[in-house]
Amino acid sequence: MSGDDAAHPPALLGCESCGLVSTNALPDGRKGVVQRCSRCGHVLRAARPFALQRTWACVIAAAVLYIPANALPVMVTTSALQREEHTLLGGIHELWLDGSWGLAIIVFIASIAVPVLKISVLGLLAWTVRRAPHWRRLERARLYRLIETVGHWSMLDVYVVVLLAATVRFGPLASVGAGPGLLSFAAVVVLTLFATWSFDPKMIWQEPPADG
Amino acid sequence: MSRVEASLVVCEHCGLAHRWLPVARGETARCTRCEAVLGRPHRLSIEAVLALTVAAAAAWLMAINTPLLSLSLRGGSESTTLPAAILAAWQSGTPIVAVVAAVTALIAPAAFIVLRLYVLFPLAVGKKAPGFAWCVRALHQAGRWNMVEVFTVGVLLSLVRLAGLADASPGPGLFALGAVTVLFAAIESAGLKHLWWSIR
Repeated sequence: MSGDDAAHPPALLGCESCGLVSTNALPDGRKGVVQRCSRCGHVLRAARPFALQRTWACVIAAAVLYIPANALPVMVTTSALQREEHTLLGGIHELWLDGSWGLAIIVFIASIAVPVLKISVLGLLAWTVRRAPHWRRLERARLYRLIETVGHWSMLDVYVVVLLAATVRFGPLASVGAGPGLLSFAAVVVLTLFATWSFDPKMIWQEPPADG
Repeated sequence: MSRVEASLVVCEHCGLAHRWLPVARGETARCTRCEAVLGRPHRLSIEAVLALTVAAAAAWLMAINTPLLSLSLRGGSESTTLPAAILAAWQSGTPIVAVVAAVTALIAPAAFIVLRLYVLFPLAVGKKAPGFAWCVRALHQAGRWNMVEVFTVGVLLSLVRLAGLADASPGPGLFALGAVTVLFAAIESAGLKHLWWSIR
C-alpha cells in the first residue's frame, strides 16, 4: 500500500544521503530486509515507506487545524484603554487599512496563500497518484518542487507574534501576547512540512499496479 | 554488497537513472523526465565552504547575543534577542510555539554551523571526521528545519509594525542575522553530497 511499483522495481537506487548509485539488490522488496549504501551506510529504498498514508494523515490534520488557526485570535494587544484580539485575516486587513499594502500582501502570501496552496496541492498530488496517475505528470512534479521551495515561509507570522510579544512589554501601558490561534497555526505549518517530506514525488512517475 | 555505479546519477525526485556527463560552469544538469536538478558543477572548494562557515559562525554568535530590535515608549525601553524572544514565548504560556520557533530559528541553524565545522575542518586536511556519515544525515535534517531566512524577514516585519506605534529601532543582531542568511544561502549552494565526493 505504500505506492510501491511491484511490476517494475527500479534496477538502480540512488543514495539520498551521499548520491552513490547502487544496483537494487532486493527487487522483490522482501519485508524486514533493508539494503544499505556501501559508501555511507544510509538505507536505500525504492520508495519512501507509507508515503501516501503519511501524507494524507498530515494533510487532513493540517486542513482541520487551519479552521481554528483562522477563527481564533493569533495575537492579543492590550493598551491602557482597550484589549484587542487579532485574527490572521484581521491583522492583514488592519495592515491594508493602515496603508501598508506591501506588508499586507507579504503577510497574506505567507499566512494564507502558502498554507492553502500546500494543503490543496498535496491533496491533489496524493489523490492523483491513485486516481489519475497519467494526468499532467510534469506539471505535478513542478507543483511538488514549488511547495517544497515556498513551504518555509508560512512560519513568518509565528515569528512576528513571538517577537512582538517579547518586545512590547510595558505592562498595563502596552503589551502584546500570543492568542490561541497561533498554536493551531504553528501546528498547521509543521504538519504541512511533514506532509511535504512524507510525499514521495517518485509516485508521480510510477505505473499503477495492474489490479487497480 | 551490491555492485556500485560510479558514473551514474539517479534523480532524487523521480528515480530515473542518468549517465553523469561533465557540466559546464553556470549550467545545471536536469532530469530528462521530471526536470528536477540533478547537479551543478560545484564552484566552491572545501576550503571556501569552510571559510564561509567560519564567517557564518561569527555572525551567528553576534546574531544571538545582541538585540534584534529595541523599542522605547514614554521613557521605558525594551529590547529583545533571539533566545530571549523564545524564552518569553515559553514563559507566557505558549510552550509549543516556543519549541517550534526554537527548533527552526535557533537549534537548526546552530546545528547547521556546528556540524559543518566539525566535518569540514578534518576534510580540509583530507581526513574524515568520526561519525562523518551520521553528521551528513544530521546536516540534511538541519537544512530542512532551518528557517533563519524567514526569521530575518520576521524581524524586519515586526520592526515595521512597531514603528507605527512607538519609537522602534533595529539592533546589531538584525544586521548579523542578515549576514547569516546570505552566508547560509552561499554554503547551501554547495550542497551536501559534495562532502562525500571530496573523500577519496
